[in-house]
Amino acid sequence: MDKKTEENILEVREVTKNFKDTLVLNGLSFQVRGGETFGLLGPNGAGKTTTMRMIMNILRPDSGEIYFNGMPRPQLKGVHFGYLPEERGLYPRARVLDVLVYFGTLNNMTPRNAEVEAIRYLDRLGIIEYTDARINELSKGIQQKIQFIAAFLHDPEVLILDEPFSGLDPINQTVLLEILEEYKAKNKILIISTHMMEQAEKICDHICLINQAQVVIDGPVDAIRKQFREDAYYLELEGDYPVLKTLENVQILEEGKNSYKFVLKKGTLSLAELLKRVEEKARIRRFEVFEPSLHDIFIRLIQQQAEE
Amino acid sequence: MKNLFRVARWEFVTRIKSRSFLFNTFVSPFLFAAVITLPLFIFNMQPQISTKLIGVIDLSGLNIKEELQRELNRSYRLGNRSLEYMVMNVAVGNSPVYKQMANKYQEIRSRLDSVTNVYNQIKEQRMQYYKNRRIPNRDYVLRSSYEKLQNTRDEKELIQIELSRFKTALDSVYKREAQRMADSLLYTDVLNAYLVFQPDFAKTGIVEFHTKNPGDLREIDRFEKILQTIIIKKRILDDQIPRSKIQKWFRPIHVRRYQLLPKGDQEWNFYVQFYGPLIGVFLLFMAIFTAGGYVFSSVLLEKSNRVIEVLLSYVNSSQLMGGKILGLGSLGLVQILSWIAITALMVAGGLLPADKISYLNMQNALYFIIYFSLGFLFYGAIFVTIGSVSASEYDAQQINQLLRTIAIFPVLLSLLVLANPNAPLIRALSYIPFLTPSFMIMRIPLSSVPITFDIYATIILMVVSIIIMIWISGRIFRMSTLMVGKKPTPQEIWSWIKIK
Repeated sequence: MDKKTEENILEVREVTKNFKDTLVLNGLSFQVRGGETFGLLGPNGAGKTTTMRMIMNILRPDSGEIYFNGMPRPQLKGVHFGYLPEERGLYPRARVLDVLVYFGTLNNMTPRNAEVEAIRYLDRLGIIEYTDARINELSKGIQQKIQFIAAFLHDPEVLILDEPFSGLDPINQTVLLEILEEYKAKNKILIISTHMMEQAEKICDHICLINQAQVVIDGPVDAIRKQFREDAYYLELEGDYPVLKTLENVQILEEGKNSYKFVLKKGTLSLAELLKRVEEKARIRRFEVFEPSLHDIFIRLIQQQAEE
Repeated sequence: MKNLFRVARWEFVTRIKSRSFLFNTFVSPFLFAAVITLPLFIFNMQPQISTKLIGVIDLSGLNIKEELQRELNRSYRLGNRSLEYMVMNVAVGNSPVYKQMANKYQEIRSRLDSVTNVYNQIKEQRMQYYKNRRIPNRDYVLRSSYEKLQNTRDEKELIQIELSRFKTALDSVYKREAQRMADSLLYTDVLNAYLVFQPDFAKTGIVEFHTKNPGDLREIDRFEKILQTIIIKKRILDDQIPRSKIQKWFRPIHVRRYQLLPKGDQEWNFYVQFYGPLIGVFLLFMAIFTAGGYVFSSVLLEKSNRVIEVLLSYVNSSQLMGGKILGLGSLGLVQILSWIAITALMVAGGLLPADKISYLNMQNALYFIIYFSLGFLFYGAIFVTIGSVSASEYDAQQINQLLRTIAIFPVLLSLLVLANPNAPLIRALSYIPFLTPSFMIMRIPLSSVPITFDIYATIILMVVSIIIMIWISGRIFRMSTLMVGKKPTPQEIWSWIKIK
């Protein structure tokens, strides 16, 4: 279909939301493109859940608008959304397949089709034997997998997962990532919200950090990293080399046991010369250009914001 | 719109198979009907295996026993046509105290008899003396016999006074002894009760009724009726009216109650007329609160386990709310229809005489369904709201309790409704949406005139209230479902209703 090959785009434009006297979102704007993993990041209480609820149309913005392929969200018809909320829960007394079929049909699937898809995913996630079990007889982890299936069973155009990996073992994380990769390959919108930065760093292509109702930074992960690269280096030696600290244009940022993180300030000493000098005195075990982690970047940014 | 039906279907299907629904539909109505009709049943159907023995202490000497027996026989018989009451005089002949007194009384009596004889003889003699003028010394004889007569008369009067004094004493001993005897018979359950007739009972109209259970109103009521007849009869007899005439006058009266109905009169039976609609109200109440309880626990559950967020991302809040009310309302309707079917089966099987119970007809069944649906939609909307604003089951239970109390309130006034289903107060109360279904369900079968105006007006009123209620709950529901672990304040709720 044409629609699938077209580029999908979800836009959040100048969205503001108040709950009573608290400003939860203040002119929030970002764009999500189909085919990328978009990470909506931020500390607790930053407004992530509210943003997602507005994308899901559970809440309406006080001002501003959300668009999908140029259409305002409330007027959207026939576009399916999938949502995995952070707090998990299902009907405890119902049977697995019944619940999945129910959620499927709520998204316009035929019962038959929903059943087929549900069984396919149950099989893929290795829980096919629980098809007829009651939800409350299952372990937490299995319940969580069922909730995943409920979120993307109907192959939505927009999939929003709130903290999808919390509580999943590494094997299932891999299976889930595979499924998400397939999903992305269809050029669809995928938004993952998390406050686990290492996780986000691994899987997201694009991130948007919000804090205190505002976007702190928004962009592709690589670009952000580049932007915050400090021209710092990491050097690990066999044996100590205290002279490093005395060199004129070397500024030590962090010092470990026989290891240094430093920046080379403008000056006479080039990187090649420095390494040569070090090598004369000690054996270099590891040397690399230091990349800041998202975690570091975010902490820095949030601290900065707090200071301001 | 499709999603509304999908939600409705889900709610319906997941509940209809539940044990609690089956229990509420097929077991509890019978339990409930049993509970309210059992006391009545026991009261009415006490097995009267044996004839009751009633003692009589008759101080009037009018032979009340025969009369009483005759009257009781006329009115009350057991199922097998044998006597329900047997009357016996309580005899005290064996009591030594009484025996002694009675002997003395006899002695005085014979003394009086002999004196009276003497007195009469003297009188007769004197008559002879008067008639026979040829008697020698007639004047003397007449004078001396006159003295004798006077003396005898004095003596006679004295004995008479003594006798009447003694009679009073004897009567009180008799009464005392008879009562002691009767009490022991009552105590040992030989007698079921005994009556004491004072000599002047016809004049005073006072009769004592001694029993172990003065609370047995039915028994007392019967004796009052019978004694009334006997006493009035005695009073009339004293006025010299022939017995045969009185007998005709006092033929027992039976009042048959008929109720005026549009289709002609119908014999009226208090229990059927009263308990039928009352059971109807209870069933209605049960259906509404069973289904309402499901609505409410369903919202509460989805809210507490956050399924509601997923649902709200697929369907909008009005579809979700509407679906729940529709689905669980259909469940209630299934319940009502099952009951109507059970009633129809009971009628078909001859367990319920439909021809004698005028309100068991299709039209009233239809009204029952209409008022159920209206009541359910009204309360359903409220239940959804309560479920959505409650932070816990406990909070919700309390409001629920209050609603139950309001909805059951008409039952407390059921006797008033029975007395006059169209009294201004009852009419006014049936226009309060919370009470409308219960009151109307009672009024329709009880009213002797068609209350078409009230039916249509209350239906319209209910529809309007339902629209308002659903509109309000929709707003509250949309906002409150996303709040977790916290109860909204009344001000917050008010502001949700106001916002556009």
